[in-house]
Amino acid sequence: MFGRLVRESFVRNPRRKLLTAAALVVGMAVATSTLTIVLEVGDRLAREFRSLGANLLVTPQSDTLPVEIGGVDYRPVDEGAYLSEDALGKLKTIFWRHNVLGFTPFLDVPALVNGSHEMKTTLIGTWYEHEVSVPDGTTFKTGLSFTHPSWKIQGRWFRDSANEAVIGANLAARDPEVFAIGKKIRVAHSGSANAAWDLVVTGIVSTEGSEDNGIIVPLSFAQRFSGRRGQFRELFVSALTKPADSFSERDPLKMTPTEYDRWFCSPYISSISYQIKTVLPGTDVRAIRRVADTEGSILSRVSTLLWIVTLTALGAAALAVAATSATTVLERRAEIGVMKALGATNALVAGIFLAEQLLLAIAGAAVGFVVGAVLARSLGASIFGTAASVRLILFPVILGLAAIVALVGSLIPLRRAAHFNPAPILRGE
Amino acid sequence: MFWRLLWKLLRASSGRLTVAILALVSCAMVVSALLNLEFDIERKLTQEFRMLGANVLISPGNAAQATGIGPGEPMSESDVSGALQDLEDPAVVASAPFLYVVERVRDTPVVVAGTKLEELPKLEPAWRIDGAWTSPQDHLNSCVIGRNVARQFQLLPGGLLNLTYLGKSAQLTVAGILDAGGTEDNQVFVQLAKAQDLAGLNGQISLAQLSVRGTTKSISQYSARLAARLPAYDVRPIRQVTEAESDLLNRIRLLVVSMVVLILVLTALCVLATMAALAMERRQDVGLMKALGGSIERIVALFMAEVGVLGAAGGFVGAILGIVLSRWMGQRVFGTAISSRWEIFPLTIALMVAVALAGALPLRMLGKVKPAMIFRGE
Repeated sequence: MFGRLVRESFVRNPRRKLLTAAALVVGMAVATSTLTIVLEVGDRLAREFRSLGANLLVTPQSDTLPVEIGGVDYRPVDEGAYLSEDALGKLKTIFWRHNVLGFTPFLDVPALVNGSHEMKTTLIGTWYEHEVSVPDGTTFKTGLSFTHPSWKIQGRWFRDSANEAVIGANLAARDPEVFAIGKKIRVAHSGSANAAWDLVVTGIVSTEGSEDNGIIVPLSFAQRFSGRRGQFRELFVSALTKPADSFSERDPLKMTPTEYDRWFCSPYISSISYQIKTVLPGTDVRAIRRVADTEGSILSRVSTLLWIVTLTALGAAALAVAATSATTVLERRAEIGVMKALGATNALVAGIFLAEQLLLAIAGAAVGFVVGAVLARSLGASIFGTAASVRLILFPVILGLAAIVALVGSLIPLRRAAHFNPAPILRGE
Repeated sequence: MFWRLLWKLLRASSGRLTVAILALVSCAMVVSALLNLEFDIERKLTQEFRMLGANVLISPGNAAQATGIGPGEPMSESDVSGALQDLEDPAVVASAPFLYVVERVRDTPVVVAGTKLEELPKLEPAWRIDGAWTSPQDHLNSCVIGRNVARQFQLLPGGLLNLTYLGKSAQLTVAGILDAGGTEDNQVFVQLAKAQDLAGLNGQISLAQLSVRGTTKSISQYSARLAARLPAYDVRPIRQVTEAESDLLNRIRLLVVSMVVLILVLTALCVLATMAALAMERRQDVGLMKALGGSIERIVALFMAEVGVLGAAGGFVGAILGIVLSRWMGQRVFGTAISSRWEIFPLTIALMVAVALAGALPLRMLGKVKPAMIFRGE
């Protein structure tokens, strides 16, 4: 009887259900898409922030003080400590290896370059796009294009194995005749002019930093030039991190084992640098404060902001659904009057209405979830360039939300309906 | 007559309209808060981005470099500070001159940067200091050392550092140890006058750094003005920073705008639900009006006016609440209240009227009501 009543109500007057269903679908679609986006936004923005460049710097621990002004290291080649290139593949074996988006070694060598007169400059040996073999047998492509995406090149980058060079914009402006794309330049050690090497200029780079005064060459060339085979001085790492909080700043040595595990298994910049340090012993790994702190502060602010916005959107969705549910109950006062006149108890009336609402809520939430998923994907595509992936874990959440909101929305008018006196309603008053 | 009818109608179905007005008020609140945020977020976030440090550099011009003297050619301190004073702009968060000299500490060469120590925390808010930026007792003779320098010479805040340069020497008190995560960790920061005095380069600097707040456009406009005032030097904004900033900003704004649109659609739907129910309920009234000779246009206009008043009232109350909400949001998210704009007020009210009218479209169905059928009770 109960089931038949509920079914009849749907079959007899489907148009009446349409409004509540529409409100449920739209409300739940909004809830799904806002929740999907807010859950994803941290990850996406963190990835966007990588356009600011590397956020970790690895240097040898026992290094002497670099004497560096305007990007030129005035230390002789034989002074200071070096790191070995062979170990770099291990960076992709740490716990948070997938968060390591790229790393680039640098080896700076002072040199003389021939122009209309000899000029003192720095050869900056590095990778543009280099295949690094990882201990697990795979290779990982990394280099400047991953860690320094804002560097703008005119012409093309060098090939990693060739005797080619890219000239810094300031240096190129000093002697545009000599430093033109396609020309050959000759570099030699400062001090002794005996060993000179020819390089072909393939491009002019604008970095807006001290590199604009130097010549960027393949790392392998800088190593041969300086006689430092397989070695480099600095490593820039770009890693996806979670904004630092008071917990991440604590000393790992003073943590309890569970705290330590939690810290180790969170992609904080401090835990990632700790893990890098364990695979590259003898190094000093530091967060580049400017980049890391800007990222952290903006990420946490934007995600707080979006949570507030999402919660208000959820509130608006809930209100819309509750309001339409209330409307449908009020509309059917006559029906309630008939039921009560035929001897239905308040509980039975409420039961029938709530069952209807629940069925509607489940159907509406299911459709709304699908619509919201599509919406989130297209929104994600327009905001972040790639579609946002919808988490299935949201489905039960949305289902529960729809059920609660629809039930609460109809409960309030149903409580009033309990006080209805059937007689005036049936008389049409 | 029209207005009296309108008033009666509003009074008669006040219960039903409460739902609609509640939806309108809450929607107006959220929308006006988000719009306030949308207008202010740029200012707020560009302020956050100042953590990236200096974004405008003044360096010796290319003209000096073309002669082959190299980037070490110094600039005149008074020229630069004069230009900065003339062009005083509230957007300039901090500015500091720098003079780089290689000096010796216990026979080890160290890069010494002469600057305004008290400007550094404003110029580079991300740098961490262990200790203080200047020591209060001895302003001129205090210094800040990078953490690598501290490790190399085993110095602690409060320790003494001896600098020598071509026979001259100075004893400085270490006020603090700097953690910057860059080349600055290898440098010693002293007061500019001290560095100039030691190096014998009075009144000269090798670089000036500025931190300017604003959009890519306003920053390049400011640096163009500065460049016009300092033709001999090279003034340029650090583009990579400002570009990344505006890119991120655009994405965040797009997010906020799409949320606003979604909430507006939702509210329109809610109003629609209420109005559809109301239209059903009012069939009797409409039948009566028609029987008494009211034209359809007039009746629909009456109902539309009713909804319009509803939207305006909801928008008004909601906009006021929205200002409160946006203040709270600003306080919660950015630590400072979001300044509200007066334009938002009429904009929110207009949006709410539009949404209410869109939601009231089902009232047009009333035009089809035939009085005779109503009175027959069909």
